[in-house]
Amino acid sequence: MTSITHTPPAIEIENLAVTFAGKPVIRDFSLRIQRGEKVLLAGASGTGKTTVLRCILGLCVPDAGIIRIDGEELTRRSVWRLRHRLGYVAQEPDLGGGRVREVIERPLAYRANAHLRKNIERVGALLERLLLPDDVLGKQAGALSGGEKQRIALLSVLLLDRPILLLDEPSSALDKAAKEAVSELLASQPERTILSVSHEAAWASFSDRSIELPPAPNNNQPGGTSARGGQL
Amino acid sequence: MNGAGVMQEAGEMAGQAAAVSHEVADISPLGMTAAYLLLIIPLAIILWKRIGLLRGAIVSVLRMSVQLLFVGLYLQVIFRLNNPWLNAGWVLLMIAVADVSIARGCDLRVGRIALPLFFALLTGTAIPLAVFVGLIVRRPMLLDAQYVIPIGGMILGNCLRADIVGIRTFFDSIRKGEKAYANSLAQGAGQAEALEPYTREATRAALAPTIATIATIGLVALPGMMTGVILGGAAPMTAIKYQIAIMIAIFSGTASTVYLALRFAANTTFNDYGLLDHGIFKGRDE
Repeated sequence: MTSITHTPPAIEIENLAVTFAGKPVIRDFSLRIQRGEKVLLAGASGTGKTTVLRCILGLCVPDAGIIRIDGEELTRRSVWRLRHRLGYVAQEPDLGGGRVREVIERPLAYRANAHLRKNIERVGALLERLLLPDDVLGKQAGALSGGEKQRIALLSVLLLDRPILLLDEPSSALDKAAKEAVSELLASQPERTILSVSHEAAWASFSDRSIELPPAPNNNQPGGTSARGGQL
Repeated sequence: MNGAGVMQEAGEMAGQAAAVSHEVADISPLGMTAAYLLLIIPLAIILWKRIGLLRGAIVSVLRMSVQLLFVGLYLQVIFRLNNPWLNAGWVLLMIAVADVSIARGCDLRVGRIALPLFFALLTGTAIPLAVFVGLIVRRPMLLDAQYVIPIGGMILGNCLRADIVGIRTFFDSIRKGEKAYANSLAQGAGQAEALEPYTREATRAALAPTIATIATIGLVALPGMMTGVILGGAAPMTAIKYQIAIMIAIFSGTASTVYLALRFAANTTFNDYGLLDHGIFKGRDE
């Protein structure tokens, strides 16, 4: 435990505030997640759970507040480097065009991930653990079911060896067996910090603790829209 | 100055430049009247078939006539003076006009895109223009009005259409694929890496028409420049050499301006976090 007290939290948010078109969505939200913790971010629809994840990734620029990843503040300069410590699975992943094999290989071709290219050897084992058949690699990504897309997105993120995972409803389109498989796979990685948004009861049991996001000040969040600096 | 006007003007100028055997027959006022009388045919069809384009057609012809008369008068002065600074100024003015036309044609806020686009057009036009005048036709003065203005106009006129297609395609596809783009950033892509699929699609869309034109030139129609050179009294083989050179210069200019416009535009239309700034689109309040 001594090491935990001396190392900065994996994720630290102080007084986060986000508005959309002048309407506050998140106000004065703070959290600290230690390395290796599995935390569930709960809250009613429209409370800005997805927005919190996107702010951590620098895909949404907050109006106020400080975000630190491993003790380093997220800024316009550090965001590009800090993203390399984060893995993200969106609720309805857009895998882009091409076959599943290309979707998996694409991020490994990025310059920042060049040292991870050998991780492609782990695809077979991960497919098996996620209950996906080998021939899924030859399918068009756009033709996959929602559950298959979620598992391929997770597989792709796991190949990047990110120490922090941000998962947005990662099991929403999975059947019972697949949910258990995903849950077991993530639980078997004690070194990884995981912040997830989920309505699944099983996900709550997999997490070390749960944080409730208070209702949005006006409870009127447009889905998936970012605050300043664009919409993603 | 629209594309057709530029092409026609350029053809005539180049025709004069390449004239070796005899002068171009001038058109008398009576001849011009005969030219305008030809309008009876399209206007009659428009009226007879009730196409509803009568007003538009008349306004367009009037605009063309006034614009070309104005440009003709101005060019006469510029050609007579043949001052390199004045010629460079005219080319810069053409680039500025093309710049604003492209920004408007892409439904983007002119103030946000005009500067990067201007530098893209300037660089993309200057290189093939310098090669054409300096190395291909080997004029002692690089900014010779007789060459730099018509050739520059031809390159620019073609870049204009290609750039509109390229920039529109780029922003349309990035807006459609914004989730996938965000996913690429989250997976560790640099901005250029994340934008690469959209840049590739846009460049392909922009260059495809030019490539198709190159492939069919001479079969479908005799292009404006070649016609101008022949009318100017040059041998057909001379005209063909000019045409081949200008088509390559246009292709080079088009590819450069599209690539540079997308590259430079990315610097001013995305924020420091790599997020697309939706404020660049017209009609949005963000």
